[in-house]
Amino acid sequence: MSSTTISGKPAVRRPLTPATARFLMIGMLMAIIVAIGALVADRFLRPANLANVFEQATDLALVALGQSLTVLTGGIDLSVGSLISLLSVLTSGLIDGNGAMVLPVCAGVILLGVLVGTLNGCGVVLLKIHPLIVTLGMGAVLQGVALLYTRSPVGGIPDGFDSIAYGRIGGLSVGGIAVLLIFVAVAVLLRRTATGRAIYAVGDDRHAATLLGLKVRRVTILVYAASGLFSALTAIYLVARFGSGQPYTGADYTLSSVTPVVVGGIVLSGGRGNVLGTLLGAYLLALLNNLLNFLHVPTQIQLVAEGLIIMAAVAVHVEREKRA
Amino acid sequence: MAKRLPLLCCIAAYCVGAHQAFARGYEGAPRTELFNPALTSCIRDTATYKKAPPYVIGFSNAGLGDSWRVVALDEIKQGAQDHKDVIKKLIITDAGHDDAKQVSDVQDLVSQGVDLLIVSANTEKALDPVVTRAMKRGIPVIMLDRRIASDHFVTYVNASDPMMGRLWAQWIVEKLHGKGNIVILAGQAGSSPSENRMNPALEIFKQYPDIHILDTVYSDWSPVKAKQVMQAVIAKYGHSINAVWSAHGLQVPGSIEAFREAGFKPGEIPMHTTADVNGPLKMAVQYKVPMLEVGDPPAQYRLAIGVALKVLSGAPVPCVVTVNSQIAVTPGDETPSVKGDLPFKDMIVPNGADDMLITNDLGPDYTPSTAHIEYPH
Repeated sequence: MSSTTISGKPAVRRPLTPATARFLMIGMLMAIIVAIGALVADRFLRPANLANVFEQATDLALVALGQSLTVLTGGIDLSVGSLISLLSVLTSGLIDGNGAMVLPVCAGVILLGVLVGTLNGCGVVLLKIHPLIVTLGMGAVLQGVALLYTRSPVGGIPDGFDSIAYGRIGGLSVGGIAVLLIFVAVAVLLRRTATGRAIYAVGDDRHAATLLGLKVRRVTILVYAASGLFSALTAIYLVARFGSGQPYTGADYTLSSVTPVVVGGIVLSGGRGNVLGTLLGAYLLALLNNLLNFLHVPTQIQLVAEGLIIMAAVAVHVEREKRA
Repeated sequence: MAKRLPLLCCIAAYCVGAHQAFARGYEGAPRTELFNPALTSCIRDTATYKKAPPYVIGFSNAGLGDSWRVVALDEIKQGAQDHKDVIKKLIITDAGHDDAKQVSDVQDLVSQGVDLLIVSANTEKALDPVVTRAMKRGIPVIMLDRRIASDHFVTYVNASDPMMGRLWAQWIVEKLHGKGNIVILAGQAGSSPSENRMNPALEIFKQYPDIHILDTVYSDWSPVKAKQVMQAVIAKYGHSINAVWSAHGLQVPGSIEAFREAGFKPGEIPMHTTADVNGPLKMAVQYKVPMLEVGDPPAQYRLAIGVALKVLSGAPVPCVVTVNSQIAVTPGDETPSVKGDLPFKDMIVPNGADDMLITNDLGPDYTPSTAHIEYPH
């Protein structure tokens, strides 16, 4: 039976855009997790627990935002983990509990993050080397520098600095709210500005983008610089959360930063996807980990469950792409 | 005397719990308490945490990954099983040695409404803020084996890392008559057992101007990584290495293997320090390596459950609860300051696996790979 409009003409059912379909899929998965959580533990749906999940997604979401931008141009940034490690030890080591040093050190760390990202971008466009190789090499250099600086946790933070991670506004984490706003701002910039549209164009077809007169090199350097910026912000956030910087603190983020990107529906070959999907992907993973802790599932099984979710998310996406 | 009474009661209670399944050596009260030169000891009042059973206890584990931690996990399960009449549930999380995950784990355990938290911190600084916050919310926290940097917890159950570190260092210094070259084979950078054994040891070494630290390398408690890092160190310094100060026994087999593969004959391999693991003791005899064993018994995990119940009953507890470390030295290698509690050969389980922990208290038939410990969960 076909539906009709008031005027009697057959309704034209617009197909869901890939981004909408992806959002719906992540939303559905989150709803399933919430339903299971509510069934097994009466404390799962308490605001305090959901606020914890919101907070726990912050670091991964932030580093994955930078990764999303590089992936949108068809690239990847494998230096993020080492950059976070280096910047975290520099942040806590240079602040060393001195409140007066917070602003200059954070500013310097952000600048350094952008500089390293810019170098990555320059390496990709000027040397014409695959971003995987350039950023992998940069990652090794940065990890070495971090270990030259310190081989164990270093420095400390002054009172109040930890409110970046643990402070609450209306029951929600300050860092979490800030990251949510940053994501919305980046999503708007990507859609509404010429540079944002150029990022998609470069990822979709670099050659065509060049023929269209887009500044492909500048766009590529820009996304890697942005990735460096978000890695720096992640490092500062982690120092606030842990109270100090550690030379291996970012190691796990190198590959895990790709997970919310993929789960959120950004195509690894570039040009398609929405950064808000990445944010939802990070929330989904945090919610999943929280549920598995409530279910008392051992870590080994948690890793398997996370892997299966990623594979399922990608498989559904690939299937939709084929149908399209 | 009245001031001392709670301490003596605590000591008496805890030394009962500190028993061993294998060779028996020193079984008295914890020496760290008896030898404490302070006029008063730190005792924590826990009256505010008093609750009626049954209890839900949360345990946030730093991670597994080596045989010591596998056995320790079974010990804490056994501890809960020992007290299943008052423990309704022991909820265990495992952070896989990831600070970010462990911070989330602690938050999730608090969300689940645990009555008490036991935390074995992956690194001592990273877990500090979240543990401090749990305490501020009124949830008593017991640090187990790996502490946080601050003192924001009720008590710390361990085997006295500083004592182990100092004993190993003092033994090396005396064996070398105050002159020689040492390699520090540490554990995991930033973990409290590694840092809190190494730093007191370094203080000892610094007192002897002719003792030189050639290099400090991290093994991550792994014999495989220890072998890699020691191969590089041996290639650089060769026979000028006089002693290897190792922060535990887990990494020692890798170090000794590296010396053997570098051509060191039995009797030529420099002295090593070790703890808990059967393999290094067997290798010490086989390759004539002078060795000092100071135990770090995983039985402390079982003991932690008993301490948790004391806290929840409102009884005072020492700020630091230590389990006894058995000391054994290879024959002829005792020094003026370091004597064994029992013969070295009695510590070895000849037919036992190399990675067997000789200091567990789960019984002679216990095998980590096949054991299934029932516990309330």
